[in-house]
Amino acid sequence: MNNTKKIVLAEDNSVLSLLLKFRLEKEGYKLLIAVDGKQAIELIEEHNPELILTDIMMPFVSGLEVISHVRNKLNMQTPIIVFSSAGQEEIVLKAFDLGATDFMSKPFSPHELVIRVKRLLI
Amino acid sequence: MNDNLYILESLKHSSPIIQLVWGISGIFFIIIAFLIIYLKYLRTHLRVNEKIEAKYQEDYESYLVTYLYAGNDDEAFSSEQQLIINELKKCVADPFKRKIIISTLLKLRNEISGEMGESIDTLFNKLGLLRYSLAKLRNKKWEVIAIGIRELTQFKIKAVHKIIMNNINHPKREVRKEMQLYLVYLYAFKGLEFLNVLETSLSEWDQIQLLEVLQLNNDTQISDIKPWLKSSNDSVVIFTLKLAKVYNQFEAKEELIELLNHKSEDVRINVISALSHLNVFEAKNILKNNFNERSHEEQIAFLKMMENVYEASDKPFLLEHIHHKNSEINLLVMEILKNINFEEFEVNEAELKKPLTA
Repeated sequence: MNNTKKIVLAEDNSVLSLLLKFRLEKEGYKLLIAVDGKQAIELIEEHNPELILTDIMMPFVSGLEVISHVRNKLNMQTPIIVFSSAGQEEIVLKAFDLGATDFMSKPFSPHELVIRVKRLLI
Repeated sequence: MNDNLYILESLKHSSPIIQLVWGISGIFFIIIAFLIIYLKYLRTHLRVNEKIEAKYQEDYESYLVTYLYAGNDDEAFSSEQQLIINELKKCVADPFKRKIIISTLLKLRNEISGEMGESIDTLFNKLGLLRYSLAKLRNKKWEVIAIGIRELTQFKIKAVHKIIMNNINHPKREVRKEMQLYLVYLYAFKGLEFLNVLETSLSEWDQIQLLEVLQLNNDTQISDIKPWLKSSNDSVVIFTLKLAKVYNQFEAKEELIELLNHKSEDVRINVISALSHLNVFEAKNILKNNFNERSHEEQIAFLKMMENVYEASDKPFLLEHIHHKNSEINLLVMEILKNINFEEFEVNEAELKKPLTA
């Protein structure tokens, strides 16, 4: 039985996705990468991951819509870490209202992200 | 064949206007055909370029991520990192590839901080990209200069600030803005020293951006703002007043009070707002004494200030202006009176309505 924990990463910056995939796979997680919110929802529904990492601003379906879909439509309690940029403080608050677990403000340290991921997936 | 000859024959015998129209139509037809072929070529060319760019970008992203994880604590650059540096250095000489490399580095630099962020800055230097960014500063086109400064800002190249400072009074606003952001982004409050020599105007948008960058910085040691409050550049004074508000510069109280007599109305309005924010009580009496000499906007700013610092002794002054011809002033006076003494206000209110209904 495969016990590798699955993480869905929704991020439209390809090089950041690659960097995080590399880092988190090194830590023993399986990364499923989505380039927009729509793809993220499909991956979440299909793979039922243990953690979701999502950027707030994404094409087609935003990070907020992903959180809302996970919490209200799929009724999943999977922890969600949101990536935000400077000046998106109000959107972060909305994300928490919708059920986000944690947030990280860009630019962030990948090392710190790994610590937070580990803490949530103990 | 006969039909064609017949058409040509009838065209020859037709009136000159019809011949001219046919001639022009023919020319237009040739131009349109040429443009369609050219657009087709252009579109194909752009698509091919896009594909090549995407391919290079993918390769460089992969190189970059590998480079970032290939480091070790024993040496400055591991052998794997050195191989990647050598490979990328070859590509940097080609302007097309260089552009993609810089955009790839920036794409990640803007998203991550910490050791990895610093590692990207080091790679930027190691690849010799600094030379190209500096060359942009010598370009005749202002947009190239602005891009060059932005690159230096994003890769945190501090050592070139003297060269960048040459653009302090550049005729193009965009270049000046990039220069200001460079200084503030890398040097925080110390970077604001450009205000000492700034001759051009700082737009509202420039001011907002500078304040935002300052707030991103963790350095809370604000410079002495007093010299800027005496600047001959009104926009510098207004920006400094914003700094005084955001960073609660109560120490500059005397200089702020002096500005109540500044020649610019805009400055005077802003200084009233700053004094109000800082709760400088002394300013209230000064403004009360020359209330009638001030413009309506200043009077409104002062009454908004009074909303926070009113006293019962202000009542005679307020009653004096209760029938002011400006409705906003009128309303503000009534609001303050109401706050001073609510019950008495109710009585006065009935009286106040009289002239309005008469």
